[in-house]
Amino acid sequence: MSDRLKIFLLLLPAMSVIILLFFGGLLIGLMRSFNYMPVIGLTEPNFDAYIAVFTDEEFYLSFMLSLHISVTSTLISCVLAVGAALLLRRAFIGRAIINFLFQLNLTVPHLVGAIGILYLFSQSGTFARLAAEADLITRPADFPALVFDPFAIGIILQYVWKEVPFIGVIVLANMQSLGENYESVARSLGASRWQAFRHVLLPLIFPGLLSASVIVFAFTFGAYEIPALLGANYPAALPVLAYRKYTDVDLAARPEAMALALMIAVLSVVMLFFYIRYSRRKVRS
Amino acid sequence: MINQDGVWTRWFRYLTCLVLVVWLIMPLIPLAIWSFARGWFFPDILPRQWTMQAWEYALSETAGVLDSLWLTIGISLSATALSILVGVPAGRALGMYKFKGKEVVELMILAPTIVPGIAVVLGIHSVFISLGLTNTVQGVILVHLIPTLPYMTLVMAGIFSNYDPAFEAQARSLGASPLKTFWYVTLPAIMPGIIVGGLFAFLVSWSQYILTLMIGGGRVVTLPLLLFNFATSGRNDITGAIGMIYILPGIFILLLTAKQLSGRSGAVGGFGRI
Amino acid sequence: MRQISKLAAFAATVALTPFAALADTADGDALNAMSWDEIVAMAEGGEVNWFMWGGSDTINQYVSEYVGGLLMDQYGVTLNRVGVSDTVSVVNIVLGEKESGNLDNGSVDLIWINGENFRTMKQGDLTFCGYTDLIPNNALIDWGNPAIANDFGVPVDGCEVPWSTAQFAFAYNTALYDNPPKTIPGLIEWVKVNPGQFTYPAPPDFNGSVFVRHVFYYAAGGVENLLGPFDQARFDEASAETWRILNEIEPFLWREGQTYPNSIAALEQLYANQEVGIVFNYEPAGVGINIMNGTFPPTTQGYALEDGTIGNTNYTLIPFNSPNKAAAVVLQDVLLSAEAQVQKALPDVWGTQPGIDMSRVEGELRAKFDAIERHPNVVSAEDLAATALPELQASWISAIEQGWIANVGSK
Repeated sequence: MSDRLKIFLLLLPAMSVIILLFFGGLLIGLMRSFNYMPVIGLTEPNFDAYIAVFTDEEFYLSFMLSLHISVTSTLISCVLAVGAALLLRRAFIGRAIINFLFQLNLTVPHLVGAIGILYLFSQSGTFARLAAEADLITRPADFPALVFDPFAIGIILQYVWKEVPFIGVIVLANMQSLGENYESVARSLGASRWQAFRHVLLPLIFPGLLSASVIVFAFTFGAYEIPALLGANYPAALPVLAYRKYTDVDLAARPEAMALALMIAVLSVVMLFFYIRYSRRKVRS
Repeated sequence: MINQDGVWTRWFRYLTCLVLVVWLIMPLIPLAIWSFARGWFFPDILPRQWTMQAWEYALSETAGVLDSLWLTIGISLSATALSILVGVPAGRALGMYKFKGKEVVELMILAPTIVPGIAVVLGIHSVFISLGLTNTVQGVILVHLIPTLPYMTLVMAGIFSNYDPAFEAQARSLGASPLKTFWYVTLPAIMPGIIVGGLFAFLVSWSQYILTLMIGGGRVVTLPLLLFNFATSGRNDITGAIGMIYILPGIFILLLTAKQLSGRSGAVGGFGRI
Repeated sequence: MRQISKLAAFAATVALTPFAALADTADGDALNAMSWDEIVAMAEGGEVNWFMWGGSDTINQYVSEYVGGLLMDQYGVTLNRVGVSDTVSVVNIVLGEKESGNLDNGSVDLIWINGENFRTMKQGDLTFCGYTDLIPNNALIDWGNPAIANDFGVPVDGCEVPWSTAQFAFAYNTALYDNPPKTIPGLIEWVKVNPGQFTYPAPPDFNGSVFVRHVFYYAAGGVENLLGPFDQARFDEASAETWRILNEIEPFLWREGQTYPNSIAALEQLYANQEVGIVFNYEPAGVGINIMNGTFPPTTQGYALEDGTIGNTNYTLIPFNSPNKAAAVVLQDVLLSAEAQVQKALPDVWGTQPGIDMSRVEGELRAKFDAIERHPNVVSAEDLAATALPELQASWISAIEQGWIANVGSK
């Protein structure tokens, strides 16, 4: 059969799933956010939900919080992951252990890590108790607030814990397949280690690093269960806000929830667009 | 020479390793200790009383923890199997062919990794209600396909881009049927990709929360949902036990497939394609 | 070949499972016309899906093992307990099903419910009503008691049956303090003198919401001024004073009031780890249970407020589209039985107060109930009952919750 037909048939199952479930879900969400759903009798679209969302101070606070969480987590994870990959690419005692632990971390679900962070960093958690043992504090309230706090420190810690191995494994694989020849050449031409890294290695691993960090950024922006567990009550992260509105007994909140969900989708795409453009330019220079 | 490390660099390396090891294991330790603790209050570093009551509850019949374990394994395996069936052909198309609109197709298939699940699942929930798929295992498996499919396709596309169709052509010219060709020639060559992609797909489905919560409607209780409920209801001991149970299958599968994750295979390199 | 046929058999089972034979009925009117024996016969061999708050393993065990055991042994009905973290999600399920036209094959057969959730369901015609006099153990219920006949001010009208009664009570850590505050104004002063040692869960958490209502009653000068349907003028007056009080103490709360715990469980954790010194709950018996399972320090002591605390009844309700109504009704009979009610009053099982009128129970079970010794750290039911306050109608409650979020929570 012709190539075009072959390609079409090969892609058909995947495209059906994506179009029906993914884009279909987005479309239905969009329609319901305009309160337009002829099937159950809503035939007059309106902007009420969007007006309610955009005039609500909570939406802007939640958006800034989610943005802060994503940017901070992704940046810190990228830097640490590249550092870890540089460390691990040459053989030495203990490398096998770290490699194994990195891969092990990949299998531990986010929720477990989040609970662990909660037990470690809450004001009555492990570190607080160690501090009490060392007579640094007497009451839990003396320990800094790292979870349920306005800066989302606990949430960021959890994301960093999980994403450094994720990005690290990908970057490491890239580095290993590249080998060290390029850098050797640069060094022999007189470049310092930093220069060899910054101008030779980094641009080479950049595509892989960028794709991994794009996934991390999107995930940290839209995840629900980690901010639901570790976050402050107000302002809540954007996905938590959307879920709360969707499960509100007051059905009028449902189109608002859909509107929030669509905003999350749109904001993810827009921010990623800027992120990609900005980082491409930075590395190229 | 570039390959020799100074003494300081070596010590720095070991120190960083130690820090890394501790940091990677750290969050799991309080969970483990809590699962054996009774009445572990501030400021005690270790529990005053050790007990098996949390494990007894978690492993008991009426607690539903073990049922949830088998259910979660079943759902994740099914979602993985489905995404393999759908993702392998798609990966082949994207990895081996150039065609008009290829970039658009790639972007569409990868969209779920960029658009968070919550943005999509509220809309899907409405549709599934009328299709009768809410509160069913089938509905949950179906909706898990959304985040797992892109990873599978991505990895397979990476594998297929390094794949030489000449071998298939040779086998066919020697008289092999398409099925035999696939089984003896194609499959072994792409198997590393299937394993790595399958691993990612399984893990993505294994840790799914919001999709299962919304579509399962509280009837399909996977381990993450159970764990979240106990974590927010203050029973840290039971949370610890369930948490330990929850990470075991992932570790088990990792041990089976560890070799494939190193940089030597082309599978992980597929991530550079986005 | 063998593998394929095994796979086919498995696939067939999976595909056909949702279509299990309907031995029970979704037809509520037909059920209403039957005799009890007919209902029992129809329920036999079937199952009932009971959606209830699943955050307590002791309650889960009582329901799954004890109640489930009784139901199976006496009536041959299988109990499927479905734990949820918030009853409102179950209301949403039934609502969604009605919206999409599912009128006779709902996934929910019974709900543990009261208050605003009940009001939503009753107003939305989501409940099965008018059948309760069919239930034999209905005779044990004191429907003449307005606290039973009205669920947060909304008349029950045969749409649900009681399960237990509860009354809000406080508890404190005797190892840290000697004299806890025993009135609301006393608590306000105590908070200012002991900064950072008190907080409450953010409404609309059930327990956080009722705590705010206690302050609201005090701000209104007593609950007598608030009874009856929602009155905007009275609400505005009382709420202005309430928000003033709560904002005034906010800087003296845990974390200086910059955030509030998300749920009662979060507050209990803070209490257990001495981050705060006072805790409270609608279910006073929880103190005993938590001391026994190690979640609370053994020096915890429950107490009542001198100016009274709010009490209410909780119920079980059958949704309009349940396909297993006979089994659900039979389950309600089991739940109302003196046997089951006494069992859950035992302090090491649950310790909660019965929803039936114990004066209507005689013989051995009555003696067993009277002999129950509450856990020493749990406040006595007499102390609480002496100062029981009624709940407001549900419309007041939503207004108070929304008001708190706008005037206190987001500032």
